[in-house]
Amino acid sequence: MGNGTEEDYNFVFKVVLIGESGVGKTNLLSRFTRNEFSHDSRTTIGVEFSTRTVMLGTAAVKAQIWDTAGLERYRAITSAYYRGAVGALLVFDLTKHQTYAVVERWLKELYDHAEATIVVMLVGNKSDLSQAREVPTEEARMFAENNGLLFLETSALDSTNVELAFETVLKEIFEKVSKQRQNSTRTNAITLGGAQGGQEPGSGEKRACCISL
Amino acid sequence: MAQALGEDLVQSPGLQDDSSSLGSDSELSGPGPYRQADRYGFIGGSSAEPGPDHPPADLIRQREMKWVEMTSHWEKTMSRRYKKVKMQCRKGIPSALRARCWPLLCGAHVCQKNNPGTYQELAEAPGDPQWMETIGRDLHRQFPLHEMFVSPQGHGQQGLLHVLKAYTLYRPEQGYCQAQGPVAAVLLMHLPPEEAFWCLVQICEVYLPGYYGPHMEAVRLDAEVFMALLRRLLPHVHKHLQQVGVGPLLYLPEWFLCLFSRSLPFPTVLRVWDAFLSEGAKVLFRVGLTLVRLALGTAEQRRACPGLLETLGALRAISPTQLQEEVFMSQVHGVVLSERDLQREIKAQLAQLAQLPDSAPGPPPRPQARLPGAQAIFEAQQLAGAQPGAKPEVPRIVVQPPEEPRPPRRKPQTRGKTFHGLLTRARGPPLEGPPRPQRSSTSFLDTRF
Repeated sequence: MGNGTEEDYNFVFKVVLIGESGVGKTNLLSRFTRNEFSHDSRTTIGVEFSTRTVMLGTAAVKAQIWDTAGLERYRAITSAYYRGAVGALLVFDLTKHQTYAVVERWLKELYDHAEATIVVMLVGNKSDLSQAREVPTEEARMFAENNGLLFLETSALDSTNVELAFETVLKEIFEKVSKQRQNSTRTNAITLGGAQGGQEPGSGEKRACCISL
Repeated sequence: MAQALGEDLVQSPGLQDDSSSLGSDSELSGPGPYRQADRYGFIGGSSAEPGPDHPPADLIRQREMKWVEMTSHWEKTMSRRYKKVKMQCRKGIPSALRARCWPLLCGAHVCQKNNPGTYQELAEAPGDPQWMETIGRDLHRQFPLHEMFVSPQGHGQQGLLHVLKAYTLYRPEQGYCQAQGPVAAVLLMHLPPEEAFWCLVQICEVYLPGYYGPHMEAVRLDAEVFMALLRRLLPHVHKHLQQVGVGPLLYLPEWFLCLFSRSLPFPTVLRVWDAFLSEGAKVLFRVGLTLVRLALGTAEQRRACPGLLETLGALRAISPTQLQEEVFMSQVHGVVLSERDLQREIKAQLAQLAQLPDSAPGPPPRPQARLPGAQAIFEAQQLAGAQPGAKPEVPRIVVQPPEEPRPPRRKPQTRGKTFHGLLTRARGPPLEGPPRPQRSSTSFLDTRF
């Protein structure tokens, strides 16, 4: 469907970053999509997003990563944020127990607004500061296992596991999508979520040739 | 560092850089001698477009004189010549005078005069630990590229800390909203902390009530209003946005909550603020509509944005030349949106929201609590007896029982007419000193607070 764009891709997967303010969502985003990190990146107000295309096997997958404000009160205006998301990284700061303690609340928020089939990874960020650790790895891992979540510890600062985190989530989504395609006999529109997630361009994603002006 | 305190800001003669505060994500290599700050204090600034239409020095001087004259008889000016104030604000307040004019426009000077010890108390009091942690985390994340805010011990971050903390103590039920950071930061670039604090209070309570509180209900309402205005004024753009699934909450909050301080080149931000403090929230709508039109106004532009991401990207990628202050502001002021249009649309959207069975939790928005700019604020403060020594800050004075028996509820009597400060809850730091004698010429007891 390339209308002259440099990248061709088969899939677009919308992934959202959620978690308390200050845990590192914005830097995970910038590390993954632009290989950048900043100690002083601005507070996220509203919504940020960035994309990156990765290869999963022979398929080119465009990851559309969304980032938003973590502060509680923004919940009131960010419900639209979840629409169409097929994956989520629920991030906490492993040097601040408080950000882990509220993970359940975030999970609830997620399931309230997103599809039940959404792929979720629990991410303990700031592993470069392990000497200041307040959340034991095993504890978080157990929680993830008990709740059907993937789990990794990352450091956006030194890049540890950042690629792996996103790719794991994307792979998981991809597998779900593939399975669904095998199972679906009638429709060629795959929905894991709404219009923007998990669909091939041409059926959900608006391409230039499909637009009526 | 001196530039924040109302002194002449012109530092680099002949340099017309439009630096943008849009944060880049490249790591700061450190402040100081290696990277020069522009005339607004931004270090290194992204590549600047030259500003060809920066007004000549003698025009600036003329405007400065006008403002000095207007501000030295502020009450007279506002009572009789508000139109002139409005016009001058549209043209842009000279940089050297913003520090003087902003507090006057937003009524902060009255608040400050009527609450002489309050800020000091708030700044010295220990803050709520929960808020302190959150505020502390954000201090280095507001305008990180501005020299005033680079150092944690510098008076930028410290000023932010005190002002934001003071607000959470002043209005504990409101607490801290991250968007107050950039707003307070811009204020602190021009004003000392106490004045910045009162300006912040006015913005949060009078210009944009319901924006910064725990439910941000007014933001949601304004987003609907914005879409409705788009539908009326830019129908093709509206249709496109609907088709690609871009709702206003995906771009409007950062614009409105931060008063565009993160979305426009800094000189333009200041111009927007001049107009906003003068004319109120409708300026935000006009700026938003202009931005949307600049990004997506032509069929060609819309064709280039086949999907949601491209469309959102276009809204963020308007070329700096089009955002240059003179060019941009003249378009803003040309948007066909009067206060009455806005109020009508607000009413309509409020009615629609009320019909939705399951709106988001929280109180319904109360747009009538919003005062549309400097003139309304002035009148409200006058009505409240805002003469030297009188105290319009109701929250404390309401606690004093009036002499005549009156119902404690004042809302019905003050709706739409009185300074919003009167409508906020009757709690706050204890009153200093004895109650003031009644000064107003009317016998309205509901203006005694």
